[in-house]
Amino acid sequence: MILAEEGSIVWLTLGVAALSTLVILPPGIAVALALARYRGPGRSVLETVLSLPLVLPPTAVGILLLELLGRRRPLGAWLAAHGIEIVFTWKAVLLATAVMSFPLLVRQARTAFEEVDPRLPALARTLGCGPLGAFFRVTLPLARRGVLSGTVLAFSRALGEFGATVMIAGNIPGKTRTLALAIFHENQVGRDDRALALVGITVVLAFAALWTAERLHRRPAAPA
Amino acid sequence: MIELDFSCPLAPFTLRVRARLPAPVTAVMGPSGAGKTSLLEAIAGVRAGVSGRIAAGGVAFLDGARRLPPERRRVGYVPQDAGLFPHLSARDNVRFGARGPSPRVDAAVEVLGIGPLLARMPSSLSGGEKQRVALARALASEPVLLLLDEPLAGLDPSQRERILPYLLRVRAEWNVPILYVTHNPGEALALAGEVLLLERGEVVGQAPPADLLGAPAMAPPPDEGLENVLAGRVVEVDEAGGTVRVEVAGGLFVSAPWSVGRAALQAVTLAVRAEDVLIATSEPRGLSARNVYAATVTSAVRTGPDVLVRCALSPASPPWLVRVTPAAAASLSLSTGQRLWLAVKSHSVRWL
Repeated sequence: MILAEEGSIVWLTLGVAALSTLVILPPGIAVALALARYRGPGRSVLETVLSLPLVLPPTAVGILLLELLGRRRPLGAWLAAHGIEIVFTWKAVLLATAVMSFPLLVRQARTAFEEVDPRLPALARTLGCGPLGAFFRVTLPLARRGVLSGTVLAFSRALGEFGATVMIAGNIPGKTRTLALAIFHENQVGRDDRALALVGITVVLAFAALWTAERLHRRPAAPA
Repeated sequence: MIELDFSCPLAPFTLRVRARLPAPVTAVMGPSGAGKTSLLEAIAGVRAGVSGRIAAGGVAFLDGARRLPPERRRVGYVPQDAGLFPHLSARDNVRFGARGPSPRVDAAVEVLGIGPLLARMPSSLSGGEKQRVALARALASEPVLLLLDEPLAGLDPSQRERILPYLLRVRAEWNVPILYVTHNPGEALALAGEVLLLERGEVVGQAPPADLLGAPAMAPPPDEGLENVLAGRVVEVDEAGGTVRVEVAGGLFVSAPWSVGRAALQAVTLAVRAEDVLIATSEPRGLSARNVYAATVTSAVRTGPDVLVRCALSPASPPWLVRVTPAAAASLSLSTGQRLWLAVKSHSVRWL
């Protein structure tokens, strides 16, 4: 019974973190590439805005999301009218983790893209590649380590997301209670041994993710 | 035929080129920063801000508002640093732009002699090897035009690997026009039908290379001197005598130092520095130099601190360049039309 409950918490946490990472990957890579190449005005403002979730208290981000999507707010009301409920569902957990981990992916991937000599994709163009072909055959493979480690970092951040999640998704057992929320809950109700067990699971998962990131970052470029 | 009539703002000036290039090989020359690389990039379509008209082989790459994207221009562009994709092996680099499994890939590998390098990664190749792989990659993409940016001179010119012999083969075996940026007037003389001379973004000359030798913009870089480049074929290998006899253009025979791996009928390229050629006003006798040729002075011009003497050896031979001090020129009283003899010792002949 207890194991089943913890199992479902772990699966919810892993599932949401994986899905949120998948969801932010395409836009994250696109934004990172745009930032790496864009040299026009407003660049630093754009970068700062995109990095805000990294420095704001997660609860503040959660409140902002609530303001946007709450049922009495225009967007939330519109979505509710179309049968889409976000707040206090697993989708809210997904949204919170996606928003909080997006800047991590973008920062890491942007650095990787900046290190790719822009003349190489240009050369690929002269060899017959369209812009997309040049990206997938040259730019992305050359930036893959940074993009991969950014992905793992984003995933790790999603695993541990608490503040924004609790604001917008609540702490509903079996529905929105992820590991981070469950630890808080068990501590609040005085079951420190269960909280510690959950902490142990979290440590193992976080370690595995970070260790993977570190490996990906250190490994020399493998021959293709 | 390459038609250029375009402009492109660069940092300190604007590149404005208006020229028609009919030669199979055109050398682009001029001082560093004259806009030579930008010219190639504009033609390849990888530089922004180019306006005007660019056409090659009757296809308009750029014509007012109509701009063909680089992938549809089909130019083979080899930048100065070769620009190999570092994540791909030499083989995958060469195949990158090939349209399917094409015999052109094998032909390109063969003409550049890179078969033994194919399994290696670019980071393990020397500068000259990278250039050859990049040139093969460009050829394998079946270009209508080759754009080559010569790598800058290495520290030691005698150790420098040269792409020139391979270019001579490409010129002979592949029917594709070449635009070749070089700092070496000897290479331009050996390879190009015309030189396009650039200075601060403007065309300051366009003529056969021999006619532009006096131009300051064509002056050889001080560290590497001026070379006579001779393409030819091995006639005889005399290992005991320590020499290899090579027949070069114009029916001349050149004795070169013995070197390993030379065999009769092999196509080779030799270089003789203009500074290493001796001038005699009467036929020299009892001289150790193995190469002595009768010649006629076609011009003698002061270039920088030296006098550059252009000599005709035979009607079918490209002119030879000899660099002497003004004092030597004065004591020999060199003048156009004068008959004289040129002498070169075998050890002054270098294999390229």
